[in-house]
Amino acid sequence: MARNVTIEPADQTTGVEPGGAVARAVRATKVYGSGPTEVRALDEVTVDLEGGRFTAIMGPSGSGKSTLMHCVAGLDSLTSGEVFLGGVELGSLSDRELTMLRREQVGFVFQSFNLIPTLSALENVTLPLALAGARPDPDWLDTIIDTVDLRERLAHRPAELSGGQQQRVAVARALVTRPRIVFADEPTGNLDSRSGAEILAFLRRAVDELHQTIVMVTHDPMAAGYADGVVFLADGRVVGHLASPTPQTVLDRIKSLGE
Amino acid sequence: MLAITLRGLWSHKRRLAGTFLAVLLGVAFLAGTLVLGDTLRANFDTLFTSVTGDTGAVVRSATKVDSSPASPRGPIDASLAGRLRSAPGAAEVQPVADGIGQIVVSDGKVLRTLGPPRASNWIADPSLTPYRIVEGHAPQGLDEVVINRGAAKDGGLRVGDRTTIDTPRPVPVTVVGIVTFQGADGFGGSSYTGFSAAGADRYLAGRPGQVSSILVKPAPGVSQRELVGKVRPLLPAGVEAITGQQLSDESISAINQGFLGLFRTFLTVFAGIALFVAMFTIANTFSIIVAQRTRESALLRAIGASRRQVLWSVVVEALAVGVVASLAGLGGGIGIAVGLKALFKGFGFPLPTSGLVLQGGSAVSSVGVGVAVTVVAGVLPALRASRVAPLAALRDVAAEPPAAPRTRVTAGAVLAVAGVATTLVGVLAGGDATTLLTGVGAVLLIVGAVVLGPAVARPASRLIGAPLRRLRGITGALASQNAMRNPRRTSGAAMALMIGVAVVTLFTVFTASIQASIRQTVSQSFGGDLAVVSSGFGGANTARLDPRLAGEIGRLPEVRQAVGIGAGRALVGGSSQEITFADLARLNGVVGLRVDAGSLGQLSGPRFAVASSVADDRGWRLGQSVPIRFADGATQRLTLAAIYQGEEGSIVGNYLLPRDQWTPHAPGAADRTVLIALRPGTGLETGRAAVERVAAGYGRPDVQDRAQYTDSLASVLGPGVSVVYVLLVLAIVIALIGIANTLSLSIHERTRELGLLRAVGETRGQVRAMVRWESVIVALLGTIGGLGLGVFLGWALVRASAAGGTGTFAAPPLQLAIILLVGAIAGVLAGLRPARRAAKLNLLAAIASE
Repeated sequence: MARNVTIEPADQTTGVEPGGAVARAVRATKVYGSGPTEVRALDEVTVDLEGGRFTAIMGPSGSGKSTLMHCVAGLDSLTSGEVFLGGVELGSLSDRELTMLRREQVGFVFQSFNLIPTLSALENVTLPLALAGARPDPDWLDTIIDTVDLRERLAHRPAELSGGQQQRVAVARALVTRPRIVFADEPTGNLDSRSGAEILAFLRRAVDELHQTIVMVTHDPMAAGYADGVVFLADGRVVGHLASPTPQTVLDRIKSLGE
Repeated sequence: MLAITLRGLWSHKRRLAGTFLAVLLGVAFLAGTLVLGDTLRANFDTLFTSVTGDTGAVVRSATKVDSSPASPRGPIDASLAGRLRSAPGAAEVQPVADGIGQIVVSDGKVLRTLGPPRASNWIADPSLTPYRIVEGHAPQGLDEVVINRGAAKDGGLRVGDRTTIDTPRPVPVTVVGIVTFQGADGFGGSSYTGFSAAGADRYLAGRPGQVSSILVKPAPGVSQRELVGKVRPLLPAGVEAITGQQLSDESISAINQGFLGLFRTFLTVFAGIALFVAMFTIANTFSIIVAQRTRESALLRAIGASRRQVLWSVVVEALAVGVVASLAGLGGGIGIAVGLKALFKGFGFPLPTSGLVLQGGSAVSSVGVGVAVTVVAGVLPALRASRVAPLAALRDVAAEPPAAPRTRVTAGAVLAVAGVATTLVGVLAGGDATTLLTGVGAVLLIVGAVVLGPAVARPASRLIGAPLRRLRGITGALASQNAMRNPRRTSGAAMALMIGVAVVTLFTVFTASIQASIRQTVSQSFGGDLAVVSSGFGGANTARLDPRLAGEIGRLPEVRQAVGIGAGRALVGGSSQEITFADLARLNGVVGLRVDAGSLGQLSGPRFAVASSVADDRGWRLGQSVPIRFADGATQRLTLAAIYQGEEGSIVGNYLLPRDQWTPHAPGAADRTVLIALRPGTGLETGRAAVERVAAGYGRPDVQDRAQYTDSLASVLGPGVSVVYVLLVLAIVIALIGIANTLSLSIHERTRELGLLRAVGETRGQVRAMVRWESVIVALLGTIGGLGLGVFLGWALVRASAAGGTGTFAAPPLQLAIILLVGAIAGVLAGLRPARRAAKLNLLAAIASE
């Protein structure tokens, strides 16, 4: 398997974007359908996602928050505008280059865990490395396994794990390649509040202790309270920012936006 | 409910495509064989009716040495013709002398035809012969002949050319005319040579004045039956008269019982195998579809549908698919019939088929069988669907229970062990029950394997996938685990291939064993250096050598001993047997026979010898006097003077007569082979050159050394083997469609998982590889199972029929390795489409589908 597609690392010539952004969207527009059924999921969104920070993206259903995430993560393409990840404009990449980019620079955590049922917890964690034909760095693997507290469960299949445990496996899988950025799509949506809080604490630790960049899509103010900053979206547009959020300030802001 | 069913059917028609195709192919093959059979039958009917149907009466010897209607008969006196001319109602009387006429062409060899080389006296009256002169004139002189247009074309002969006809005695002739057979180049692949009446009497008749039959043409207004009535009183004892219509009926029934019957059975067996394999494919598809629809079925149950209604909805679905696919298959059958025709022609069996005949009965039975197979295959999955609890609609249930229940494992193991045991008992115990026990054992074993399949599929996939894991990393690991995750499904797909491969393997092992057996027998019993066999139609297995050839070769200084061996049929102690005749005194040193009792050396006068198996079967001992009835009607008592060890397929067969006891009843009888031992000190090539010089005057028959002779006898199965392989390919194709279909349905189920893999960095290439390897694992599972099953059953078959002369078991490693390789490649092919679909999957839709 050829792995000769290299994505320029962020700290070289193309470098970190001014202001320390790991990823940014510039006038990003995504249109579904055409004519009378046209839906503008993203309408000229410009946003910087800064390195080493935990950013939450919030908004009501249909606000475009998932679409924005998919486009920045290289899962979906824009109708117009540009998305940069580590200084590389994604629109110019082929499917194969995008796959390599996701494999090496992006981590994902989904609402519905999305583990491979036939693989053990450990195999699920190391899956992205295995796909790249690479060996895990044992120290790093230990670190992230301890971060998400999975040591006792490594040999189990997903079906033998609780929802919270499955999501911890997913978090570890997202971190294992030391990605430039981790996207978490409603990571607590399918969990009870205690397991949800655990996951959020792990994500927080990944940012604080491992200097990971995390972008989380959520509509839960409690979850957003763990972030360093919040970007609010509505009808495909950025409608506000909030630094150092707490559940209360997030809730207040949502209320004010609703008026 | 019906509306819901049909709408549901339409909405997932794509998923049923595999089922549809499997039914279609199976039915098409069946319909194709039936159409071909009908066509052949109709053609033969017209052919024979037109050949002899118009002849008024046919007068011939009443003696038969064979139970078939086309038995060879002895000659009758030509002088009878004179008496018949006086019969009231006879307008014309035509004696016919039949014989062999091998046409020697420019390279000195006899023309290699695709049918027997027939010769007779030329019949001028167009109502008594199907042949017409289209060029030149009728033969008049002793050395004048007409030949059929096909032979003239193939042999590069023209009117006026000089050549030789081996009857088998070489006769120098001039071609004076070209004839056609009802406008065609010839009768099938046979050649025809017409001599003048005098020529036929000299060269074709066993003795001058003898003919094969006499044709009588009725005067206007006289019916065939009336004519026969008038002719009969004029006939001496041992001669009979029948109507032309009866003769053509005889020929038709001979061909129906013989060639055509075999041919139809042969093709129907393959159609049966294809349909059987299709059944597995269909059942597996329905199982998966039903499992994937568990929620829908449960919802129907929850809102008030009865169990029966759910059951019927699946059965109706099977019925609908069966009807549509079978009707399409019937159409496809016409194409298959055309293809089969071409196939047989390509392998050297041109079939007399003009136009295509489809009889109502064949159409109805093809469609009926297709529908029945589909519905039967759909019933089990339907029952499973009907057992879904209404609550399943509310729960998130797994599509299918992953593991095989313990009862199933036990039942399967018991069946398989019982099957193996029964087969072994049947084979090892021997005796009358062998065939029955072996057959029952084989059926039990196959059923056991099918029942056990799901239990075996998981560990077997793990085993097959193990090297893949090492070589292909995560892609291989995922592939092998995907193959293991639903053993019932995996085994369902693999089983169809297993059955197909088992049949292929069985056939391979069986033919290899027959050949090995022939080789062994020949190499044991042939003690000479060279053998001469006919180079024309039928090769080493036909008797077309001039009996004088052996004598002439024997006089060569390079040759120590040469013996001509001929064969024919006679009634020995009342039963029709193949007889070998030779100069027994000359066998010594050329044919190594182990004599158990008596002595071959003393075998002169009215004596004969048999193989020990015959003596055992018939309870004969030395000194036994046995009546032998020859084709000329004479019966003679011969004394059993020697019993030798021999298996069928050995060069001298089971009944051995001195030549001087045979030839009086069949003058000029041709030899099948001349076996030669060279004088010590003579090099093989020197000897061969000397023999070839002599053989040059006899139509250049092939002069073979031991290895070549053994090969030519072992190749008796010849091109038929290739035809069988081509026919079996269809069953394999249906099985592959099953695998492809199963994979496609599984991929549909794993949409989300595939999306995730893509999201975390699996390339499209890796997705494709993963699906492809899964397909290879499933295919190898079926192939390996089939190989095992086929080799075991092949061994059993060989042993069970050991009495028939195939005692040597041979499992040719190269061929078996090729089957395995083809199985793996087939897996790759079956995986192509599902792999492409999996790789094309829309990533976002895959992740988003909740």
